[in-house]
Amino acid sequence: MPGKRLGRWVAAVPMALLALATIYPLVFTTNVAMKTRREYILDRFSPTTSLHLENIAAAWNSVGMARYFANSLIVVTVSVVLLLLFGSMAGFALSQLRFRGSSALFLGCLAALFVPFQVIMVPLARIMTDSGLIDTYPGLILAYVAQFLPFTIFLMTSHYRTIPVEIIHAARIDGNSTYGVYRRIMIPLGAPALLSVGILDALFCWNDVLIALLMMPSPEHRTLMVGVTSLRGQYSDNIPQFASGVLIAAIPVLLIYLFLQRQIADGVTAGSTKG
Amino acid sequence: MPIGGSSPAVRSAQAERTAGAEVEQPGRHGTGRTSRRVPRGARAERLAPFVLVAPAVLIIVALRLWPLLLGVNFSFTGDGERNGTFVGFDNYAELLNDPLFRTALRNVGLLVILLPVAVAIPGLLATFIYLRVPGHRVFRGVYFFPAVLSPVIVGAIFNLMLGFDGPLNTALAQIGLGPIDWLGDPGIAMFTVVGVHIWATFGMALVVFLAGFSTLDAALLDAARMDGASLPQIIWHVIVPGLSRTIQFVFVTTMIGMLTSMFGLLYVMTSGGPEGSTYLPEFYVWIQQGQMNRPALASAASTVLFLIMLVVGILQVSVLRRAGRED
Repeated sequence: MPGKRLGRWVAAVPMALLALATIYPLVFTTNVAMKTRREYILDRFSPTTSLHLENIAAAWNSVGMARYFANSLIVVTVSVVLLLLFGSMAGFALSQLRFRGSSALFLGCLAALFVPFQVIMVPLARIMTDSGLIDTYPGLILAYVAQFLPFTIFLMTSHYRTIPVEIIHAARIDGNSTYGVYRRIMIPLGAPALLSVGILDALFCWNDVLIALLMMPSPEHRTLMVGVTSLRGQYSDNIPQFASGVLIAAIPVLLIYLFLQRQIADGVTAGSTKG
Repeated sequence: MPIGGSSPAVRSAQAERTAGAEVEQPGRHGTGRTSRRVPRGARAERLAPFVLVAPAVLIIVALRLWPLLLGVNFSFTGDGERNGTFVGFDNYAELLNDPLFRTALRNVGLLVILLPVAVAIPGLLATFIYLRVPGHRVFRGVYFFPAVLSPVIVGAIFNLMLGFDGPLNTALAQIGLGPIDWLGDPGIAMFTVVGVHIWATFGMALVVFLAGFSTLDAALLDAARMDGASLPQIIWHVIVPGLSRTIQFVFVTTMIGMLTSMFGLLYVMTSGGPEGSTYLPEFYVWIQQGQMNRPALASAASTVLFLIMLVVGILQVSVLRRAGRED
């Protein structure tokens, strides 16, 4: 085990300072969100004396946050379900079954990984407009599925390769068709990977603003993150209210992080090491 | 793509592998195949793999690969009155003459220069965490958390932090510096946005580095320590060579992240200003498409961005391939 030296404590000091710099902006924002406007103007740094949750309530009620929240929830839920379904189906086929063109298809998916959204957004907007899907839930959902599917397939393929062949042979001998193997073996045994990948996909979709801005222009279709971008203008004279709105938008992700930190990290590292 | 090919060659790819959790590289499928034919007449069985990949392939082809071709084609046509007519390289010429696009390209250059910083910070921190500085578990959890926040939320939080009388300038005033106009000074704003981006994303790279460390041979470290190597010597002679794959990987992914995921930050924090100093190609594409109604020009900018990404992507593929050979 690494050293017994004082050096480790020397490194710990700047690391602690950096940890502070990582946490402080969120602490500051939370503190501001709890203050009244008057308290904020008088002293923005001191810890708030009372929890003014009415800012949160006001931000929630006044700017249509509830609406944006619901939009995000609908779009992200459906997108993630479709991503996991299509991603695991394709991942299973590409990792466990040999068929004509399978490696070409896998390479095609890999290639699609390297096409960033910014590069295809102009023609995609045109395709969506032409097909009448622009500014609809299905349009945004399709855009998200298209955007994150290559990544999902990639991770599911890596994971499914680790499932031992004996299990699949046994299932086939027991009379399962390919679909039966998918449903009875790949889905249950892939559950941990589905969870990790699903959380990552959910974070990507939930946190996105560019695709949502492009695909859902109408104000009533705004997702939560697009809603956040308009907060600053609305509350330029009421910073606590602004901070409350930001906090509302951050809370779901922070909760997911608190409870599922390990799964998120697993997803990230699976993408990085299993080339 | 050869979907619906009539070959009955549906076999279990699993049979090719030695049992165990070894992850196989793509493209090495073809070695030593053991056939395991599906019973004859089971047409549904034969079609099953194609049915399973069909939705994914359709979506990827229709909404990612096809738009890519459309966009390149579109970049050679005109906007407005010349809509739909072939204009050759006019859009590209206009791009090169546009000061905003030139700034965007210059900022890409700045990102390349700042890239080593964005890689070294998480690398160094991961090294310390690996060497188990006191509190490493806590640090790991804390550092990673901004990585899950939306760039929009990060941008909004930092709008508060970086205000003229915000916390950072107040802290600087305590030590007799500032105030600095973080987002209003054209010479500073881009550095500010990149700094915030690094603040928000170094946790991702940190986790990747830590995964890389788990593959490092601890015996080498012990040997170096026995020989009396100092920490900088250990880092330079043992850790850096041992993690070369991970380091390359983080370099490429960090670059891609900088080129493609700063839109939210730019949109919230600066909107490209002041004086257009914080433009990046992705933001330029958005403005031309969304605000200026110049989709063909936007497509040309997209194509340029794609070429930049392609270079990065080819780099990445070659890194991954080399990684595969070393295994």
